[in-house]
Amino acid sequence: MKRTNSMKITVRLFGRYKDIAGKEKIHLDITDGNTLRDVVDVFVRQYPMVAIDKSRMMITKNKMYASFETTITEEDEITLSPPVVSGG
Amino acid sequence: MSIDRYRRQTLVEELGQKGQELLAKKHAIVIGAGGLGSNSANLLVRMGIGNIDIIDDDIVDITNLHRTSVFSEHDIGKSKALIVQEKLQPVNTMVHVKGINQKVTSENIDSLVRHADVIIDGTDNIPLRLLINKVSIQYKTPWVYAGVYGTVGMVMGILPKKTPCFQCITQDTLDLSAHEIPVLGSLPATIAAIQSNETIKVLLGRQPSGLIIYDVWNQCFDTLDIKRNPNCPMCGKKNKMN
Repeated sequence: MKRTNSMKITVRLFGRYKDIAGKEKIHLDITDGNTLRDVVDVFVRQYPMVAIDKSRMMITKNKMYASFETTITEEDEITLSPPVVSGG
Repeated sequence: MSIDRYRRQTLVEELGQKGQELLAKKHAIVIGAGGLGSNSANLLVRMGIGNIDIIDDDIVDITNLHRTSVFSEHDIGKSKALIVQEKLQPVNTMVHVKGINQKVTSENIDSLVRHADVIIDGTDNIPLRLLINKVSIQYKTPWVYAGVYGTVGMVMGILPKKTPCFQCITQDTLDLSAHEIPVLGSLPATIAAIQSNETIKVLLGRQPSGLIIYDVWNQCFDTLDIKRNPNCPMCGKKNKMN
């Protein structure tokens, strides 16, 4: 079930996301929901240049890989990185 | 051992003569001889890994030449693995370089990597990396993942059961190998150099740490600190192999 009260989430960015945002750490207001998908939605809305990665973004919660459905709280340490690359 | 060949390398405090002698006893298996694998093999041969096998069933294509330093136009149509052997063995006759013109599959991977001290990822697809990951855990053999896309490269040394495995970071990753992946020509050599550094460190007993992300265009060099996933279907507790 989605939570309706808002959260302020601190997100650490890696790779080109850092360059796009112009900083290493951003704060996102999550007004609807409490999952990493909600965080990614807000991130993409704020920085449309990352939309191409949206479904494949690498996300960690408290230093562990996490899926889009993972629930979060304001205290969690979230990172967003470009997708794992597979070319050789 | 020729003192001169590795003299400047043995002056490196972290390696020394002892480390150099240790490298000479090691066996590295490079899977894939494209942009990453051929460049990594080149460096590892020069740095003195005692035995290096390079496995690939592909042939050299003109579209490979912009991102490799081993192949030339004369090699087009020939086996990548055998050309790497032919070109690199004369570089250092103190090591043994073996090219294996074979496709790595779930049927033969055990016999190909069983005696490896480390596996070097020179592949271009996720399924093969997951297979390497599986045998790495099975035989407790470290491996060093590397991948490139456009102007972005990633490297991660993996010590089975000690550091996150490949599955720990790729549960939702799509395989793009069916598409022609864009790659800046200089990127694979850069990423292969980082991969070779991680390989040497692993072989000398240093524990790798995190996923290295290098974005050439945006000048970002980061290490993502990531822990093992206890619920990982491959290295987590639920897998009976563990």
